[in-house]
Amino acid sequence: MSESGRAIDALKNIVYQCNRCAHCFDLSWLGDGYNKCPALRYGIFDSYSARGRFFIARAVVDGQIEYDADIAERIFACTECRACAEHCFKYITTTDIYEALKIDLAEQGLMPAALAAGLSDEGGLGEHHNVYQGSPEERLAWLPDMSRVDKPAETVFFVGCTSAYARQNMALDTYTLLDQAGVDFTVLSDEWCCGHPYLSAGQPDKAVAFMEHTLALVEKMGARRMVFNCPGCQRAFRDDYQKHTGKPGPVEALHVVELLAAYVKEGRIGMERYRPKVTVTYHDPCVLGRWMGIYEAPRDLLKAIPGVQLAEMARNRRDAYCCGAGGMIRYDFSDMANLAGADRIAEAEATGAEILVSACPACVMQLQQSRQKTRSKIKVMDLTELVASQMRPLRTID
Amino acid sequence: MSSLTERLAAIVGPGYVSDKLADRICYTRDAGPSVGEVPGVVVRPQTTEHVSQIIRLANEVKMPIFVWGRATTFIGHGIRKGCILMALDLMNAIEKIDLVNQAVTVQTGAIWHAVDAELGKQGWELVVPGPGGLFVCSVGGTVAYNAVPHGLAEYGMTGDGVITLEVVLPDGSIVSTGSSANEVGGVAMERYANGPDLAGLFIGSCGVYGVITKVTYRIRLKPDAERFAFYSFGSAEQAANTAMALQRKHVATHLVGLYGGPKPTGVTGEAFLHIIIRDSTVNADARLAEAHTICSALGGIRLNEEATRLYWVGHMYSWLRNTPPDTYYGDRPYSCPEATAFLPSDKVKETIDFLRNYEVEHAEEFARHGIRIKCYDIYYSRNAAFIWIDTLYPELDSEAWKYGLKMRADYSEWLYSRFGSPGGIMAPLAQHIMPKLGAGFDLMKALKRQLDPNGILNPGVLMLGDEPDNGNGHNGSGNHE
Repeated sequence: MSESGRAIDALKNIVYQCNRCAHCFDLSWLGDGYNKCPALRYGIFDSYSARGRFFIARAVVDGQIEYDADIAERIFACTECRACAEHCFKYITTTDIYEALKIDLAEQGLMPAALAAGLSDEGGLGEHHNVYQGSPEERLAWLPDMSRVDKPAETVFFVGCTSAYARQNMALDTYTLLDQAGVDFTVLSDEWCCGHPYLSAGQPDKAVAFMEHTLALVEKMGARRMVFNCPGCQRAFRDDYQKHTGKPGPVEALHVVELLAAYVKEGRIGMERYRPKVTVTYHDPCVLGRWMGIYEAPRDLLKAIPGVQLAEMARNRRDAYCCGAGGMIRYDFSDMANLAGADRIAEAEATGAEILVSACPACVMQLQQSRQKTRSKIKVMDLTELVASQMRPLRTID
Repeated sequence: MSSLTERLAAIVGPGYVSDKLADRICYTRDAGPSVGEVPGVVVRPQTTEHVSQIIRLANEVKMPIFVWGRATTFIGHGIRKGCILMALDLMNAIEKIDLVNQAVTVQTGAIWHAVDAELGKQGWELVVPGPGGLFVCSVGGTVAYNAVPHGLAEYGMTGDGVITLEVVLPDGSIVSTGSSANEVGGVAMERYANGPDLAGLFIGSCGVYGVITKVTYRIRLKPDAERFAFYSFGSAEQAANTAMALQRKHVATHLVGLYGGPKPTGVTGEAFLHIIIRDSTVNADARLAEAHTICSALGGIRLNEEATRLYWVGHMYSWLRNTPPDTYYGDRPYSCPEATAFLPSDKVKETIDFLRNYEVEHAEEFARHGIRIKCYDIYYSRNAAFIWIDTLYPELDSEAWKYGLKMRADYSEWLYSRFGSPGGIMAPLAQHIMPKLGAGFDLMKALKRQLDPNGILNPGVLMLGDEPDNGNGHNGSGNHE
């Protein structure tokens, strides 16, 4: 236990606010489909739901139960999708409670094994500074040339681990979009992970240290803005840095879809017609949507492409179902991630769309894997890929 | 893993049983203030046959078994230490929508509003819009408790919509009621079909006589129109008299009176009526016109009915007080020791006077314990009034919790010693009503002994079975002690 005591005890007042109404279980009270919580769908016992986690938190606070591996499983088996908070009858920020529980569990050495190994200082994130254990040289291997690396610029394009190591096409698409849109931007040669995985693991101090490494480089470039294609990275710098340091984030943090949607609105960029016409559906990344409230910018971008018709899934925007990629659960709960992903693919298919679009490398990767596992025919792509194929500076459009 | 856990796993499958403390501790308390103990094992049946086998096993090993639906009520029938906790929420299928017989058959754990939504796709709805409490309730649990629903003035009680039930008795046998009882061709179409109304034995019994595993419920085409009205009155008496006038004319589908607690935002007055009318467009307009005439004639001041509409369509009580839910419900670690009662409509003013006097007489204790009045609201039925006495105590303060329970006891005793009956019976209310039922209570006890000689099923609930439960947590082992 840290000198300041257990993190959950400091939130006793919030823990006691839960009135056990079960609105966090599903959307049934709105007359919608049953599932809202991927963890409850996977774990089936109430202990995997938000209500259950509050029962556990209260029992911990009241001294009825001690932290153990069973509790750790139920707290870490959470995609942090925030659907429970979105529909909480008492408007409780449930994720603050999960975060405190994770901090306590991590401190007691109860972090699930694969996650602990993945983030460790020996062979994991702590050593390699990325979650894929890739080398620093590989991080920018997707770059067409080095002309924009470490150059003083107004904007830093923060690539993120998944784009850099696992979905390089997304890195390149984002790079190309920024380039074509005329953005003055740079890429950091010594970019580290944003720190978001440490937050999911209950280690905010380590997350802050990683963020501060990056922010020092950003400052060195003289940049006033960071642009991301990953909502998790964006949230780290937009919201989490301030939350965990008490200091305002020193630069503006924007998702690339926010930037491009604004450019479309300003008439600075335009889109070519998509041929032949296509119907797409959009998966709201939990972090972009429920965590940061960015629902319309990606839709505005899609609507700006002639020939693209948007068909919404039954659960969209604040009600969107998680794809299963969040909370770093793939490390220890891959079955849960796959279950959520399969549910989401089925929901996307039900719209009749040919393409499932999202705006998050983790979501896209999860949904692509789920598509393969379920043998779905729907195509999965990131919005940056779709826009990169259609966007032109306005002057070049006929 | 104990042998009991292993035997339960053999019935339902290993993934559907848990004796881990992290799981068990989540099944100790519903949304109310009464604290239960930690069950010994949680089991999740998926079929009626599972339920039957679990109950037979409980009889064999003489282990009490408590039934759990969604636990969204304030019933608070204390779970006992070490018992079998049978959670029915995985039995949630909508089995049949029968438009010919205007009925829907669902498993017990189906969620009320989800069933309604499924019916809505075909333009139909359950004949009762859902319970007056929280909204993610299961159908079986709502029927077993016989919750006071929305639409009470026109549609009646939850139990009124039941056609037939499938029930597992405390010995594990499975019975069907009404027209479904005929084993060689029964059709779920009529409740009063084959002799005594057996469904009535289980509706409102809170599971003491059997576990409801399937419900066939009446459905109807959705009405064309909904109309709303909202009125303020200069006194509780004026509002109560107006409500009785509206009752006599059968104007309202749902009629809510606000007699205490915070006043609606941005309006003046001492008491308020919300009126919801559902009917064909022509009839709804005519009924609304009549409601306006009655309310105006009796001194009501018409208010913006948008608050009424938002309450009705959004299922959020805060709108009764013209207040968005985020500011109304947010940031309050309070709990509610709710007391409820059906009253004669002409006793509303007397009851409100009692409650207000109680506030004055106990002002010092209220202040010391941080007690708030959330509401003295009334849902009017066709002919009577159902009062929700919702007070709030700070959940963090165990002394305030005890005081909250005392207040509930005081309210209940006052009401049930005069003209009140609780409707659905919460555990803490049972001790104040059951002993007053005389021969009726004796009959209930005799039935319990006959049906459940081992005292296995929900023992103590409704003060039936071996040890009565007073809803305050057995042996004081809850986390408020």
